Amino acid sequence: MAGAGRDERAWVRGAQAGSASDFEALFRSHWPRAYRAAFLVVHDAAGAEDVAQEAFLAAVRALDRFDSSRPFGPWLHRIVVNRAIDWARARALRREVGTGERIEDAPAEEREDPAAPLPEDVLVALASLSPDHRAVVVLRYVLEYTPGEIARMLELPRGTVNSRLRRGLDALQGAVEPREER
Amino acid sequence: MTEAGVRAALLAVHVPDELDAQRRTWAVVDAAYAEREPAPVRTRRLRLVVAFAVLAALVAAALSPPGRSVGGWIRDRVAGEEPTQPALVRLPSPGNLLVVSEQGPWIVRTDGSKRLLGSYDDASFSPNALFVVATGGRRVVALEPDGDPRWTVTRPGPVADARWAPSPGFHVAYREGETLRVVGGNGAGDRLLAENVAAVAPAWRPGEGRTTVAYASTDGQVRVVDVGGRQLWAADPGATPEQLAWSDDSRALLVITAGRRHPVFAAGGRPSGALETPGGQDILDAAFAPGTRDVAYSTYDLAGGQSSIVLGGEELQRGRGHLDDLVFSPNGGWLATGWPEADQLLFLRLPGVSRIVAVPNVRREFDPGGADPMTFPRVAEWCCRQGLEGS
Repeated sequence: MAGAGRDERAWVRGAQAGSASDFEALFRSHWPRAYRAAFLVVHDAAGAEDVAQEAFLAAVRALDRFDSSRPFGPWLHRIVVNRAIDWARARALRREVGTGERIEDAPAEEREDPAAPLPEDVLVALASLSPDHRAVVVLRYVLEYTPGEIARMLELPRGTVNSRLRRGLDALQGAVEPREER
Repeated sequence: MTEAGVRAALLAVHVPDELDAQRRTWAVVDAAYAEREPAPVRTRRLRLVVAFAVLAALVAAALSPPGRSVGGWIRDRVAGEEPTQPALVRLPSPGNLLVVSEQGPWIVRTDGSKRLLGSYDDASFSPNALFVVATGGRRVVALEPDGDPRWTVTRPGPVADARWAPSPGFHVAYREGETLRVVGGNGAGDRLLAENVAAVAPAWRPGEGRTTVAYASTDGQVRVVDVGGRQLWAADPGATPEQLAWSDDSRALLVITAGRRHPVFAAGGRPSGALETPGGQDILDAAFAPGTRDVAYSTYDLAGGQSSIVLGGEELQRGRGHLDDLVFSPNGGWLATGWPEADQLLFLRLPGVSRIVAVPNVRREFDPGGADPMTFPRVAEWCCRQGLEGS
């Protein structure tokens, strides 16, 4: 599971006791996944930064109350994903821009396997899903939670999680497989 | 596509700006963590973390009559979209904010720390925010970022509206009475540039190495001169000029007037359009959005007692009272405005208004020792990713 382990529990206890270095270790350990997860749900770098930042600030505010025997990652990721869903829903309501306009492609030279799905195809496929579906996909395949854990984090029936995962996979396959056949 | 393939594809997605976002966020989160420590001893007393005060101030502001009004208004504005966020411990975008309060000019850095530069009436950044030029009484003073004077020019009469020329910043223009004067960026060579000058801040034409400046004359004309005093062109704006603003590409000069029509002049003084406002509305401030010809302006409806901020023809915000001092962030992603009636600064996320950061208790923030600060601070400028940031 993401971020769980003895080190993390020690960092949490240290941070609660006022150790800035432990808190920094906790932050640096969790930032990449938190930011990536937020970006994949909101599809906007600035929005992802806002979401991830708010999640960490929420963590700071609640740090003293946090049970250090429990893993920190699921607690943080729950905040990240739920805020990302809210952010994406709000933007959809505002109809600011098409989701594709803000997607930044990976430079071609970074692709080691030409047959692998292009990252932009994956993003476009993700964008075709609702924020709620994207969140489930991200929790499962980026943050590596089980469907049961996702159901508890998002307070959803497990069947709903499974159906959203299935639909997410279908969307991703529909977008990526034609390229694989070329 | 297998589940492993999905995972690999998602992990291969390029996530833009990750390291910069991490650095910015860490600055914010680290400051918040430091503030939560019990009875922290802060060695940098002048480092004011805006949002720490904001957090407490938000509570107080929300309980005060104007705060309740403000909170309600903001909720109305973003109803169903996104809750208003406090500024927390930083400016919402990189750069340095120059705020002029009753005490004098303050620099607010990206991390929220701020510094009072001294007792001056007005101030403006040098091109890269390495210095600030301030005026107070009969003095024009170039200041280091810590407030130490670099040079001073003292004149017989009161001076005002000092503005630094574009990079490399070899000149500073300022008004003394009804004259426009210019002094070197090193404080040397002070001399008269023009006479019969109206009480409007001069505006240097943007662009590396440019040394031409626009000013308003007492006969109601707008004039553009070079630093040698040679007039390049003049134009009649049709009503008394009150504010001058160049577009970043230096090809459009907007003249805010006392009338309803606010002309835009192109090279040579050729009319190239105008901003027109309805009758009964005063323009409070106007500015070109960075890198564009889109104008943001704020109007005040005298009958309704409301202000409205418009950008590129689209209304961004409306609120009771005055929404004054429109200042864009250096990257154009945010628009800052003051709201005296609510004692708040508002930072509006662009495009549209996808987010509002409200900073309450602004009078107290910028007059911490004052008994009962009445004057609302003025947001003067927001400048530069470099410059003071690293100092």
